[in-house]
Amino acid sequence: MAELLRVHVDPEPIVLAARGLTVRAGRKLLLRNIDLSVRRGQVFGVIGPSGAGKSTLLKVFNRLVDLEAPPLRVEGEVELDGMPLYGSGVDPDELRRRVGTLFQQPVIFPKSIRANALFGVLHHEKMNRNHQEERLEESLRGAALWDEVKDRLDEPATTLSVGQQQRLCLARALAVRPEVLLMDEPTSSLDPRSTEAIEELILSLQDSHTIVLVTHDLGQARRVAGVVACICLRDGIGEVIETACCGDIFSNPRCAETREYLNRRAGQ
Amino acid sequence: MSRLLDRIFRVVTGACAFGACALFLGIAGTILVKGLPAIDWQFLLLGPGEQFGSGGILYQTLGTLILVATALAVSAPLAIGLSLIQTTYLDSVRAKRRLRLAIYTANGVPSILFGIFGLILFGQLLGWGKSWLAGGLVLGAMILPTLTVALVERIEALPTKYLAAAAAAGLNRSQIVRSVILPQTRGGLLAGALLGLARAAGETAPIMFTAAVFSGATLPSGIRESPIVALPYHIFVLAQDSFNPAAHSQMWGAAAVLLGLVVLLSLLALPARLRSAEEAHHG
Amino acid sequence: MTRRLDPLRLASWGTSFLVGGFFALMLMLFVLQSLPVFFNEGVGYVTGKVWHFRAETFGVLPMIYGTLAVSAIALLLAGPIAIGAALFTSEVLSSRKRLWIKVPIELLAGVPSVVYGLLGIFLLRGWIYQLLEPFDPLSGDTLLTAGVLLAVMVLPTVMTLSDDALRSVPASQRRAARGLGLTVSQTAHRVSLPQAAPGIVAALLLALGRALGETIAVFLVVGRQDNQWPETFFSLRPLVEAGQTLTSKLGGSETFLAYGDPLHWAAMIGLALVLLILVATLTLIGGRFTTAKITSGKQP
Repeated sequence: MAELLRVHVDPEPIVLAARGLTVRAGRKLLLRNIDLSVRRGQVFGVIGPSGAGKSTLLKVFNRLVDLEAPPLRVEGEVELDGMPLYGSGVDPDELRRRVGTLFQQPVIFPKSIRANALFGVLHHEKMNRNHQEERLEESLRGAALWDEVKDRLDEPATTLSVGQQQRLCLARALAVRPEVLLMDEPTSSLDPRSTEAIEELILSLQDSHTIVLVTHDLGQARRVAGVVACICLRDGIGEVIETACCGDIFSNPRCAETREYLNRRAGQ
Repeated sequence: MSRLLDRIFRVVTGACAFGACALFLGIAGTILVKGLPAIDWQFLLLGPGEQFGSGGILYQTLGTLILVATALAVSAPLAIGLSLIQTTYLDSVRAKRRLRLAIYTANGVPSILFGIFGLILFGQLLGWGKSWLAGGLVLGAMILPTLTVALVERIEALPTKYLAAAAAAGLNRSQIVRSVILPQTRGGLLAGALLGLARAAGETAPIMFTAAVFSGATLPSGIRESPIVALPYHIFVLAQDSFNPAAHSQMWGAAAVLLGLVVLLSLLALPARLRSAEEAHHG
Repeated sequence: MTRRLDPLRLASWGTSFLVGGFFALMLMLFVLQSLPVFFNEGVGYVTGKVWHFRAETFGVLPMIYGTLAVSAIALLLAGPIAIGAALFTSEVLSSRKRLWIKVPIELLAGVPSVVYGLLGIFLLRGWIYQLLEPFDPLSGDTLLTAGVLLAVMVLPTVMTLSDDALRSVPASQRRAARGLGLTVSQTAHRVSLPQAAPGIVAALLLALGRALGETIAVFLVVGRQDNQWPETFFSLRPLVEAGQTLTSKLGGSETFLAYGDPLHWAAMIGLALVLLILVATLTLIGGRFTTAKITSGKQP
C-alpha cells in the first residue's frame, strides 16, 4: 500500500520514456506505437506472451538493437533523463554504462570471480587497489553474493552454481553503478531458491536503482513490480495493451487481450 | 579516449582486411591482364608448336585434368574410410585424439616430400620412371589429409539429435553411417573434393620428380615410363627461362588458364563450405 | 558376430591401415635412404656449414638457416596483417558483410604456388631490387624476396583460421561485454582475443609449417646460393642476399644429379628427413594448442 501511495501521491521524475516507439527488422514491424514511462525508483514489470517483443523493448533502452544483425530500426522518441537515446552525438557505449543489463542466461567470462565482478568498471574508471576492493565488496554485497564468495574471489567464476553466476552478473552490472537496470527474464533458468534470492534483491535494489523487469512469471510480476505493462500481439505486431499499477492489472484488466493472456497463464 | 581508440581499431583492422582482399584482386588482375591476350581457341585446343614455348596448351590442360582425376579417385574412398574411423568406429577418446593428431600431422607434410617419396617408391623401387599414375597417386596422398579433415569436421558438425534418433531406432553403426552420416555429409564431401582438386591442380613439387616432363609427351598409354605434360610444371619451366620473351605469352596464358581452373573449383566449393561453417557457428 | 562381418566397418579399417602404412613407409624410406650420410658425417650433417658434393662434404646448417629466415620474415609480415583482418571480420563486420572479405581471401589461399613464383620473378624481384638499390644488391633474388612472397602465401591461412578461432567465442559473451558499455575494441581486447589466443597461435604455427615446406615459389626467387652462413645474426644484411632453403635445394636439379651416388643421394634424402622432422614438430606443438582449445571449449 505504501508503494502505491508513493507512486500516486508523490510522483518521482520520469527516468525512461518512450513515445510512439516503433521497431522494425528490415520491413517487418516488431513493436508498434509504444508509449510508456518509467519513474525513478520504480520496478517496472513487462509481461506478455512470448514473441510479443518484450526483449526487443529492453534492447531499445540500452541500444543493444544496434548490435543485432542486421541492426533493428528504431523510430519515435526514447529518452533517458530527458535526453534522446537515438539522437546524433549519443555514444551508445556511454549509454550502456548508465543502463545495465541482466540477460536470461548468466554470461560468465572465463576469468576469476573478482575479474568478472570488476570486468566492466575497470574500463570506465581508473581505480587504485583499495578502491577496487571497495567496489568489489560493494557490488557483491549488492548482489547478495559477498558472504558466499568472499573467501574464494580468485577462483574461476565457472565453479559457481548457475544461480550464483546470475547474481555475479548482477554484481558486474552494479559495479558500473548504472542508473537503470534492465532485466530480461533473469530467473527463467534458475531454481526456485535462486529465483527467490533474485526477487528479494530486486526489491532491495529498488531504493537506489530504476528497474525494468521483463518476466514470464506473473507471480513474480505481482511480487516485485510496482507498475506492469502488458505487451500483446495485435495483427502479429507487439503493442502495449495496457499499463497499470500492479494490483489493478491483475484484478481488473481493461483490455480483452490482457484478460485472455492472464486467463491462459492462470489456466496453465 | 576509448572512442578514439575504437576508431583507430576499426580503421587499422579494416585496412588489413581490405589490403588482403586487394592483394587477391591485384594478383588475379595481373595474371588476367598478362594472360588473356594469349588465350584464344587455338591456344586452348592445339598441341605444342615447333619452337620453344609456341603453340597451344591442350595436352598440358588434359594432363592436369588426368592427374587430378586420378588423385581424387584414389583419395576420396580412403578419406571416407578414415573419417568414419575417426568419427564413428573408434570408441576410445585417446585413440581418437591420436588419430586426429596423425591426420593433422599428415596434413602438414610439405608437398615436395610427397614428390621425393614418389620418386623413391614409384621411380626407384617399382621402376616406373616418370609415370602419370605415380603423379596421380602422389597428388592423391597429398590431398588425402585435407579431404579427411574436411569430412571429419562436417560429420562432427552433424546435430547429435540425428544420430541419437537413428541409434534409438535400433540401427547399428554401419546402418547409421549409411542412412544418416553419408547422406547428410554429401555437401561436405563435395566441398572437400573440389578444394582437394583445386590444390592438386596447382601443385608442381609433387609431380616434378614423379610424372611431369616439359615436352615430348601427349596422352599416356601405359604405366611404366609414361610421363605427362601438365600446366603447373609447364609454367614452372618457362618461368625459369625468364629471359626468353618468345615463351612469355604462352607462360602467362597458361598461368591464366591454371588460375581460372583453380578459382573455378574453389568457387564451386564455396557455398557448401560456407554453409557448413555457418551451421557450425550456430549449432 | 555381425559386427565383425560388417563390410563397411572392415573397409574403413582396411583403408585406414593402407593410409597409415603409406605414411609409415614414407618415414621409413627417408630414414633408411639417408642413413649413409649420417654414418659418414655424423652430427656434422646438421651442424656443418659447408655443402660441397664434389668434395663429399655435406652440412645443412645454412639451408636450415635459410628456411627459418624466409619463414620468419613471412610470419612477421603476414601475422599482424592477417590477425588484423580476422579481427575486422569477426569483431567489426556483421555476418553478411563478412563474406565480401572472406571470399577473396579464401580464393587467395587457392592461388597455385607456381603463379606466386611467376609474379615473384616478374614483379616482386624487380621491386625488391629497386628498394635495395642503396645497398648495392647483386640481384633481386634474396631471402627477403622469398620471405615477402611467402608472407602473401600464408596470409590467408592465418587469417581464415584466426577468424574461425575468434568466431568460436560465444556471441553472448560479446553481447554481455557490450551491455556493460565496452567498446568494440575493448571487447575484442578483453573478451575475444584472450579466448581465441590458443587458436590464433595454432594458426600461426600451421602457417609456419606451410612456409617451411613451400618449394616452388621460394625456389624461383631465393637465388639458390649454397653455403650462405651469416657472420653475425645482428645484421639484416644476410637477408638481402641470395640464399638456399631445404626445399629449394630439394627441388633443384641436384636431386637428379645425386641419383647415382649413394652418399650424395643420402645427403639429399637427409634434407627431406630434416624438413619432415621440423614440420612435424611444429604440427605437434600446434596440435597441443588446438586440443587445449577443444577441451576448454567443452567446459560449461
